[in-house]
Amino acid sequence: MSIQQALAGGRVRLSRYRPPAWRSRLHGSEFTWAVAFIVPYVGVLLAFAVFPIAYGFWMASDPALYVTLFSSDEYVEALISTALYVGIGANASVFLALLLSGFFMRRGWWIKALLVLSMLPWVLSAQTSFISFHWMMIYWGFLNSLLEKLLGIAGPDWLGHYWLALGANIIAYTWKTMPFWTLIFLAGRMAIPQDLYDAAAVDGATGLRRLVHVVIPLLANLYFISTLLATIWMLGDYNTPDTVSGGAPLGATEVLATVGVEFLLDNGRPDLGVAAVMAALPVLIPAGVLLIRRLQTREVQL
Amino acid sequence: MSVALSSRRRSIHRWRRRADAVGSAVLSVALLVWWLLPIYNMLLIALDPEGETEFKGDLWPSDPTLKAFAGVFFEGYWYLKDFWLQFGNSFFIGAMTMVLTALIGSLGSFALGRMWRGRAGVISTAALLLYTVPVYFLVIPFYLLMHKYGLNDTLWAVIAANVTFAVPYALLILQWYGRLVPLELDDAARIDGATPVQVYMRIYLPLMAPALAVIGILAFLTAWNEYLYQFILLSSPGNKTVAISLATFFDNEYTPWNYPAAASLIYALPPIVLFFAVRRCIAAGLGSRRFRQ
Amino acid sequence: MALMRRSLLQGSLGFAAGSPLARPYIANAQAKTMSAWFAQGFVEDEDIALRKAVAGYEKASGNKVELSIIPFAPQRQKIVSAITSGVVPDVTQNNPAEILPLYAWQDKWIETEDIVETQKARFSETALKSAQAYNDVTKKRAYYGVPLRGACVPCHTWKSLVEKADMKMADRPRTWEGYFDFYKKVQDNLRKKGERKVYGLGFQVTANGVDPAALFNAFMHGYGGQGIVTPEGNLNLDARIREAAIKAAEYLGGAYRDGYVPPSAINWNDADDNNAFHAKLMVMDVDGTISTEVAVKAKHPEWYFDEIVTDGLLYPTTNDGKPITCITAMLNAVIPKGAKNVPVAKEFLKFLIQPEVLQDTVETGLGRNLPPMPELAKTPFWQNPKDPHLKGYVQQGLLGPTQPDYYVFNPAMAEVYAQHVYSKAMIAVAKKGKATDAVDAAFNEIKEIFAKYPIKQS
Repeated sequence: MSIQQALAGGRVRLSRYRPPAWRSRLHGSEFTWAVAFIVPYVGVLLAFAVFPIAYGFWMASDPALYVTLFSSDEYVEALISTALYVGIGANASVFLALLLSGFFMRRGWWIKALLVLSMLPWVLSAQTSFISFHWMMIYWGFLNSLLEKLLGIAGPDWLGHYWLALGANIIAYTWKTMPFWTLIFLAGRMAIPQDLYDAAAVDGATGLRRLVHVVIPLLANLYFISTLLATIWMLGDYNTPDTVSGGAPLGATEVLATVGVEFLLDNGRPDLGVAAVMAALPVLIPAGVLLIRRLQTREVQL
Repeated sequence: MSVALSSRRRSIHRWRRRADAVGSAVLSVALLVWWLLPIYNMLLIALDPEGETEFKGDLWPSDPTLKAFAGVFFEGYWYLKDFWLQFGNSFFIGAMTMVLTALIGSLGSFALGRMWRGRAGVISTAALLLYTVPVYFLVIPFYLLMHKYGLNDTLWAVIAANVTFAVPYALLILQWYGRLVPLELDDAARIDGATPVQVYMRIYLPLMAPALAVIGILAFLTAWNEYLYQFILLSSPGNKTVAISLATFFDNEYTPWNYPAAASLIYALPPIVLFFAVRRCIAAGLGSRRFRQ
Repeated sequence: MALMRRSLLQGSLGFAAGSPLARPYIANAQAKTMSAWFAQGFVEDEDIALRKAVAGYEKASGNKVELSIIPFAPQRQKIVSAITSGVVPDVTQNNPAEILPLYAWQDKWIETEDIVETQKARFSETALKSAQAYNDVTKKRAYYGVPLRGACVPCHTWKSLVEKADMKMADRPRTWEGYFDFYKKVQDNLRKKGERKVYGLGFQVTANGVDPAALFNAFMHGYGGQGIVTPEGNLNLDARIREAAIKAAEYLGGAYRDGYVPPSAINWNDADDNNAFHAKLMVMDVDGTISTEVAVKAKHPEWYFDEIVTDGLLYPTTNDGKPITCITAMLNAVIPKGAKNVPVAKEFLKFLIQPEVLQDTVETGLGRNLPPMPELAKTPFWQNPKDPHLKGYVQQGLLGPTQPDYYVFNPAMAEVYAQHVYSKAMIAVAKKGKATDAVDAAFNEIKEIFAKYPIKQS
């Protein structure tokens, strides 16, 4: 029986998301309950989020700030590095996590032990782990000693080259955040009914084919939303580029977040700092809106 | 002929399994190296009597010692005085953030995703776009707001910040995850006369356990490792956290690095324990999958 | 020695707390609570001394001080957040140092002349100048800071590495270029002996941290190019300054280009530089304060007393033998506008800058902090003949010719540092550019920045 047959046979229904029944019209007590359930969320937003966000936008509202920013070569350079850092990094962590989550669906004590170990990067304090990355690379440090003693080769000056330094930032960030996305996808995969896997297995779909025909369609939503979140978070990530490469070589791997924080809290120009990151919003918000609209039309409901 | 075919099939099958085992072993080792290398490097520094191994390029300290770990445990180094008090503060912030985020997030996602099912997804995602301003950059207005609420220099101010910035993400992830849980279950329960609260407690929460677990750890770890808001919002010595204390080390150009390395490794233990606990929830998710069938 | 110092500390503190000297500044008998954010000390004794001083004030005045001792970086971020949002403590410090003139320009501080006045005769001229800044709202220069302690940039050398190269410390020339050229020879000799990893000069030819600007300033002065900003706050880019800047860029960038500076130095931050020096990866380092030495004192007394040499007394002169004016940066206490307890804050600061109290808070730093008063350099602590570093350091940063950093005269210079203008010039030369071109580009950028900070003295 093929997957299609399995689906058609009604064992598992894969259909367009349909507007619900308990739902568009809520009655009496149900409406009250729904409101009661949503009140804490709305309350938190109103009490703690609206003012800081509005204030942030107000701080960055003077157009002159953007003139100042864009007239500086360093800022434009940071924009490019940010695009590379976030563009490669966010996609890499989410995509690799998707693959890794499949690995963790296997059986055996070894896999379970690995899963626990894989969480270590995520649980360690970010500052300390990133300084560890920095030290491994900045001197004739651990990494080059390792290369020399194990392989007999002289390692490069890791932070002296743009791509190596940028790569180090991306690798460190991926190292740190991949466990989270792996868990997200693991949870997602666990929600996929076993029947579907069984049907696919009968059909000979294992490994890559199962990934392409079963897992990806079902996890597409989760995947896209994860990528969007990863992008937003990575744009705001100040720690990694600041600690791992420290902007090396010569400030070339500075990103919007590091430039912004420098203005915000170190140079005493908070308005410029907020504006420095706000400049990314015209790209980010349309991307988010497009993504949501696209998802609306492709939604899959089990 | 069919016998020959099946034996060939069997040998292919066997070969495949072996290749699979080798491949998975190689992958495991590669992953282990990649996960553990930076941590090994930290351990090296923590074991060095002066925390200087790093700068000499040694692969193992010539004179390893647990001095730094003892220094953390018994608050021996002066930056580490009150370590356990700070640890307690960090834990309180982390636990509260976790509980509140999971509670508010799951209630909200239940209301938006299971009760008002229509365009709720769009609404919550759109709300998220407001949060595209990185959290870092809202610290100044947040400080001002906390002053107005009279919460400055209390642990609750930090908890409020963490929850505020974690809940929208939690809600979003829960909602998208929730799409994988069939709505028919809710409807069936409702036909049997269950109230929304009963559906939330008995069906939604158990089925969402894996996602809630992930959200919970995310919230906990965000609180556990975040430090800027703790810097800005907390002042008095009794309210300091481990994150602030670690910053003290980073601040000092001449830090004996073995102490912060050891402190960080010890500080990573509670999240690891938490993760072990949560693994059960994920297993419970597996159980519920069976229940659905 | 430690014992002697400690008993001295206790004795004088007791004196400060109860003495008649302390009383005149304490007029306010009603109990009030003020808040203070101070930076964490470098060693525990500093915090203890600060707490004792605060306790002494509380006892004498009946007021209460809510003291928060905060690590350096968080303190800086807290201060910027506080000033921006208007929710401020009653007393804090100018961290980063540049915010004193920057926020004075925007009229964000309370005037402190009445506080400084109580000890005016005792403060060094550099300390007094550093406490003043130009206010662009009132168009006047006035006191906004209260000097607490200072720091300057000496040279540190590993004697053992020099001797390993079969050379003698005593042979080091006293003139600027000769002094630094000496270390190039040390490196050459070490290479001949097969030592691959050690470099002669620890110059921070980098765009990270605050050290590169201090290094460049030291070299400008070494080449006789003092006074890029006048005490009135005007920019001076005349031929003498330009020549010094070209020579400084050429020497610093050139040393890197020619392989006398560790290649990774170009990406170092402030801590990386110290770690590298402690790991003996370079023979000498130009780096702020003597914490380089103090940090190793407890663990490696042999390093402190024998192996590391600080050139304070023997700081090189200009190439034609003139003494160099040392830039001493000052840490000041400040009172932000909007503070709720200004009278208490002022009274507290008057208490804090009494010589006895200052002496304790400074000397507990083991020598990392210079006192702001010349008379406090004559104590047994600084003049201890057995200590190889302290006497020279206090000579260089307090008793010898000193001046404030240039951002004190005009906050534009803070922006010049923040934009890494000097770093860019050094790095251009390191990457085989011409020093004249690099300096011209730097001066153009400096002119643009100064155009934003016009000072109209009234």
